[in-house]
Amino acid sequence: MKVRVDLDRCVGHGRCYELAGSVFAEDDRGHCLVKRSTIPPELEVAARRGAENCPEDAIVIEEE
Amino acid sequence: MSTPNPNPENRQINIIDPAFTLNPQPVYDEVLTRYRVAKTIGLNSPVISRYEDVIWALRHPEIFSSEMDMHVGLGTERPMIPQQLDPPLQTRYRKILDLQFSRARVMEIEPDVRRHANELIDQFVDAGECEFDRDFAIPLPCRAFLRMMGLPQEDLELFLELKNGIIRPPIANPYDIAAAKEYRAKTGKRIYAYFEALIDDREKSPRDDMMTYFTKVELDGKKLTRNEILDICFLFLLGGLDTVTATLGCSVFYLAENPEHRRRLAEDPSLVPAAVEELLRWQTPVTIVPRILKQDWELDGVQMKAGSMVSLLIGAANVDEQEFGAGEGKCVHFERERNRHIAFGAGPHRCLGSHLARMELRVGLEEWHRRIPSYSIKAGETPRVSPGIREVMYLPLVWEKGGAA
Repeated sequence: MKVRVDLDRCVGHGRCYELAGSVFAEDDRGHCLVKRSTIPPELEVAARRGAENCPEDAIVIEEE
Repeated sequence: MSTPNPNPENRQINIIDPAFTLNPQPVYDEVLTRYRVAKTIGLNSPVISRYEDVIWALRHPEIFSSEMDMHVGLGTERPMIPQQLDPPLQTRYRKILDLQFSRARVMEIEPDVRRHANELIDQFVDAGECEFDRDFAIPLPCRAFLRMMGLPQEDLELFLELKNGIIRPPIANPYDIAAAKEYRAKTGKRIYAYFEALIDDREKSPRDDMMTYFTKVELDGKKLTRNEILDICFLFLLGGLDTVTATLGCSVFYLAENPEHRRRLAEDPSLVPAAVEELLRWQTPVTIVPRILKQDWELDGVQMKAGSMVSLLIGAANVDEQEFGAGEGKCVHFERERNRHIAFGAGPHRCLGSHLARMELRVGLEEWHRRIPSYSIKAGETPRVSPGIREVMYLPLVWEKGGAA
């Protein structure tokens, strides 16, 4: 699984790093940073949880 | 599900009706199923309610503008920054303001907010009763705000007076629009003067606080002007206090009326962050927000003109079953897996203070339930909820004396 954030859509709600801190972090403005673009199997649930809770649909998950 | 599109004139939403502010859910239900575009009484504007329509509008400020006519009459002399500006200008200010309101910055003051919450509870816990709005929901966000800005806690009463002077002017007849406007303008001048004195002080003797930051920070190589700083501070005063007060009140009001939810929260504090989100969604204290159309617009056969106002019924969007699931949208679930509520708005105007608000709500609910796990509405009393921002202005609570841990 690969994860990326569309920074044109992210406005800093911060749900991703609040709910899935193992995959997402905040930059100094509180916008999303993806900690690792390739997600190991044990973090797939967290990655999906972060993506699903983004009110801007800014997180893109690509299943391999 | 959708019935043929009735004329919005057929469904007028009275947003200042006490029955609506106390429990808006029946109206949300009706507009979501029948009126994609309805009409508000009071604001006299079309109102859109579906999650997909509301979030689309919030994400398209080039059509749904926040640049309100300055005669809305909040006592300001210029637009408040950044709320009453549109991108790209708004985005420039957000770049420097977001830095001060990130989750990381907010976490720095969390221990102080927790201490303030406990000091407030100390004052009434042994009495076995309080009026929640006056005794907790109003002072806690004000103390947090003063701490966040680096202002003295002694200014609490003054701050509340200034804020109320704009939001609820203490005039004899609340429907006397001219008197309200005059009171607001007078209060607005006092607010400008208060912050102007602070700017003077921080320019002379800088500190490690937000007011000093405003006097030093550069935007595209230029310092902020005095008016820019004042227009930011004015917004903070109006936006940062009432909204959190209202959310605390709406949340605890719900929990007092739903003891099974209250009990779970008191027994398992790890549920508090999710409960904060779910109660924000269900109660949506900022029920409705206005936008001004930048171009003619048509939705569901209803024509709207450039320059006219459209209201976004955030509260209805937040219970729309298209987004939150059939049956699911209308129940309160602390374990909701997916909660993309827009109680803090969405798009470029996403509430600047959302991380601060979330922390205050979490700490407030954690400390309240740790110390007063079991409480109810005082027998024979009826809580009152204000129109506009749904503040529970009267919420008398009782609990067993000495029953707290």
